[in-house]
Amino acid sequence: MAVKKSFPYRAAFVACKGYCGTGKESQDAENACRYGCIACGKCEEVCRFGAIAVRDNVACVDEELCIACKRCVKECPQGIIRIHECADYIAVKCSNKEKGKTALSCASSCIGCGICERVCTAEAIRVVENCAMINEELCLSCGMCAVKCPRHAIVDLRGLLTELS
Amino acid sequence: METYAFYVNGQYVTTEKKQTLLRFLRDELQITSVKDGCSQGACGACTVMIDGSTVKACVPSTDRLEGKHILTVEGLSEWEKQVFTYAYGEAGAVQCGFCIPGMVLCTKALLDKNPEPSEEEIRYALRNNYCRCTGYVKIIEAVRLSAKILREGVLPKKSGEDWKTGSRVHRLDVEEKVLGYGKYPDDYNIEGMCYGSALRSKYPRARVLSIDTEAAKAVPGVIAVLTAKDIPGENKIGHLKHDQYTLIPTGGLTHYLGDAVALVAAKDMETVEKAKKLIRVEYEVLPAVHNIEEAKAPDAPKVFDEEESNVLTRKHVSRGNAEEAIRSAKHVLAEHFETPWTEHAFLEPECAVAYPDEDGDIMILSTDQSAYCTRNECGMVLGTDKVKVENALVGGGFGGKEDMTVQHHAALLAWHTKRPVKVRLSRAESLLIHPKRHHFVMDFIMGCDENGKILGVKAKVESDTGAFASLGGPVLERACTHAAGPYAYENFEIEGTAYYTNNPPAGAFRGFGVTQTCFATETLLNMMAEKIGITSWEIRYRNAIRPGGVLPNGQIVDDSTGLVETLEAVKEEYDRALKEGKPTGIGCAMKNAGVGVGIPDWGRVKLVVEEDGKLHIYTGASCIGQGLGTVLVQMIVSHTDLKREEIVYERSNTWIAPDSGTTSGSRQTLVTGEACLRACRKLMEAKKDKIPLKELAGREFYGEYLAKTDPLGADVKNPVSHVAYGYATQMCILDKKTGKIEKLVAAHDVGKAVNPLSCEGQIEGGVVMSMGYALRENYAIDENLKPADKFGTLGLFRSHEIPIIQAIVVEKPGLKVADGAIGIGEITSIPTAPAITDAYYWLDGKRRFSLPISGTPYERKG
Repeated sequence: MAVKKSFPYRAAFVACKGYCGTGKESQDAENACRYGCIACGKCEEVCRFGAIAVRDNVACVDEELCIACKRCVKECPQGIIRIHECADYIAVKCSNKEKGKTALSCASSCIGCGICERVCTAEAIRVVENCAMINEELCLSCGMCAVKCPRHAIVDLRGLLTELS
Repeated sequence: METYAFYVNGQYVTTEKKQTLLRFLRDELQITSVKDGCSQGACGACTVMIDGSTVKACVPSTDRLEGKHILTVEGLSEWEKQVFTYAYGEAGAVQCGFCIPGMVLCTKALLDKNPEPSEEEIRYALRNNYCRCTGYVKIIEAVRLSAKILREGVLPKKSGEDWKTGSRVHRLDVEEKVLGYGKYPDDYNIEGMCYGSALRSKYPRARVLSIDTEAAKAVPGVIAVLTAKDIPGENKIGHLKHDQYTLIPTGGLTHYLGDAVALVAAKDMETVEKAKKLIRVEYEVLPAVHNIEEAKAPDAPKVFDEEESNVLTRKHVSRGNAEEAIRSAKHVLAEHFETPWTEHAFLEPECAVAYPDEDGDIMILSTDQSAYCTRNECGMVLGTDKVKVENALVGGGFGGKEDMTVQHHAALLAWHTKRPVKVRLSRAESLLIHPKRHHFVMDFIMGCDENGKILGVKAKVESDTGAFASLGGPVLERACTHAAGPYAYENFEIEGTAYYTNNPPAGAFRGFGVTQTCFATETLLNMMAEKIGITSWEIRYRNAIRPGGVLPNGQIVDDSTGLVETLEAVKEEYDRALKEGKPTGIGCAMKNAGVGVGIPDWGRVKLVVEEDGKLHIYTGASCIGQGLGTVLVQMIVSHTDLKREEIVYERSNTWIAPDSGTTSGSRQTLVTGEACLRACRKLMEAKKDKIPLKELAGREFYGEYLAKTDPLGADVKNPVSHVAYGYATQMCILDKKTGKIEKLVAAHDVGKAVNPLSCEGQIEGGVVMSMGYALRENYAIDENLKPADKFGTLGLFRSHEIPIIQAIVVEKPGLKVADGAIGIGEITSIPTAPAITDAYYWLDGKRRFSLPISGTPYERKG
């Protein structure tokens, strides 16, 4: 790795699993998610470290390579990339702000049901504008929200408590 | 039916039941090193490794573990077991031990991937696991040490191998706690055991009109459903005052949401919960008393039918003429203060296992602060003295395990069912049920002369003692007697009142009322220093009580009085911090060791030479994690010709061990310690001809000590209120840029540190606990008088958030008993809050009179 990173490590995080396939052929389809990754590749273009790339129609981050420079964050037209602390491995991988049924366009979208809020011991996760958001400062990384999420929209980035994709 | 297959410690296991990994490991595999501290994903006591990374076992379900490799401390290699046992012992990282197996696995998971971690990386590796005892300082050190040993491949020699007083020996309970084989009550699984739980009141204040248990009794697997009429003895029990109902009878009032209405025993917890839902209770809902204001209103509803009013007790302490002294003072300050409810948040929830034993007694395995109190109170409920109690390991107490919470229920169920019964509180129940730290409202006036010499202090304090007395009376009394602070002045008057409300009960909590009033006195002193134009340090140095001086309670203090030495211990750094312009605050405190004020305070120890040729220590004194056993062994090694290997520490029980009082009031090191020294003398008399120990097999050597004191208000000029006081100065230095604490220095006069390593551990743990009290912890109660918090929202500090904590052990000789050792348990938590608030004043110019304080980076932003 070219750039020496200092602990605690931070990296870009893409809040979308890319399941709806918006990025591919169904961009103009009626049911497509308006909020997810559109696989435009702008993030990949601006990244100097090869740390983010579009794979299977969704941007994926290699935390080892990412230095959290925020270029992709600024460039993303969907505004779904943010910087997070790598030690906080429980994350909401969805940005869908639709309500209830209309959010079902994707197999793994947050529908704002609030189960995560109820099971969180630290009150670290909240549904804001119909989409769950984790306050990493409060999160105890237990993953209770991830295992209880009926939509599998919350993931364990280590791939232990949930599948990665 | 589906079968789920995975590996646990290398063994291939299968299960058909979909349940959490925690329940599978504990219930099906009996792997009890994996502790159940909350089952909510908060505490981390159930941490295991899955495929090399840490996971809280209460989170994943067995159906999601296909093919995965799970590791618990039982599965560590022999070398790893040795390394972690050594490192945790050498660093002094083990106290109550409940969090330790989880911490050990965090250590391994980190070091497997990163053999040479930085301090910050270590803190991050531990940060999802809570520890309430150690303040993390020594756990972080244990990880660092483990890393070094694993890199070098050689186990170094242990420190303090001679086991004499003053040695930094590894505590005797390190191995069982690191490797997780030591048993807390929940780790017992007795053949034929059933499970019990209480149905709690639906309303904080209501009259129970009827209780119908028929449907519950009919559930298959239910063994017993009990109500108040099934109590053979007294319904009302209590530590001192008997006003805590075992079960609310029909026609009776409920006092808070934690009052038990009925008890269920069944073959498993699922059946228990099912049956509880089927108990029909009819209530007449009544208006509740929410707070002190409501409690004292003239037309207030009464919390107790039996009481005249909602006043539990009033205390009045007066010496000299405070009013007159304040009137004539050049500088006078008056302020109103408030301190919050605080949850103990010990890692181990309350649990007891009771069963009829071969003598026909009810035997109780308990996590408590006094086996004898448990025996006495359970005996009252059963109407018999045929009750035995033995302490299992105690996963932290801090005052919160002094009252009966589960023991009496387990005993009653065992008595009726004639079977072993386990009663365990869920974390949510624990948060509701055991008594908390009292919320206090206080008005203080202080008068000083032009040099900052205190002339007089006058105060009025009120506490909310909640739904039953618990130790509300003594807490209020200690709050009042110690409100004067460790200073030499003659005019002091305080009036205190404790009120019953329908809130959860409040009782003992590390500091015992002094954490509250000290915040007021010390804050006023800091303001006074500024007013007069001297430093917070200087005003204390001028007023400090010195040997031979008279405290505002009239007691002449002895040669062991070391407040000045604790002030001097921080002086250099204090001056340097001021010079560098760093916002720096200071606070002092004194705290009694021993219950004092005329209450018979006995320490008793029986040393028995058993058939194995070893000396066994029996004392009815609970080790709640502080390390009493190690202290007693060190004292015996120092005062006899025995070696460590010849001594066995036995857990407190009520049939061999003599009653040595409650683990409360920082008393065990001094009071039980002195009793132990007296027993040692008798042993050495018997051994005077150098008789080998094994020839004394069957002999017992008994020592007892009465810490004799005068009652409050005794008609003597200079009463001895307490046999000893510990003194402390704590200093808080802030980082101006971040607004965070850079360093907390805690200098404590302990007389003599029996084990300096344990002493530092107490200090660090107490300081971090009170960082929470000062900066963040809040036990909120909602409008329905229900605790609003979960374990994860209490605001407890985590390992990555703690500043540098420097513990300075000051040893001032002079106390004539117990080798001069003065208990340290509580005082560590007392001066922290005023020191921190003073530092924040110097950062932002805001004086703060209410805890936890606002406007700091530590505030919970939810």
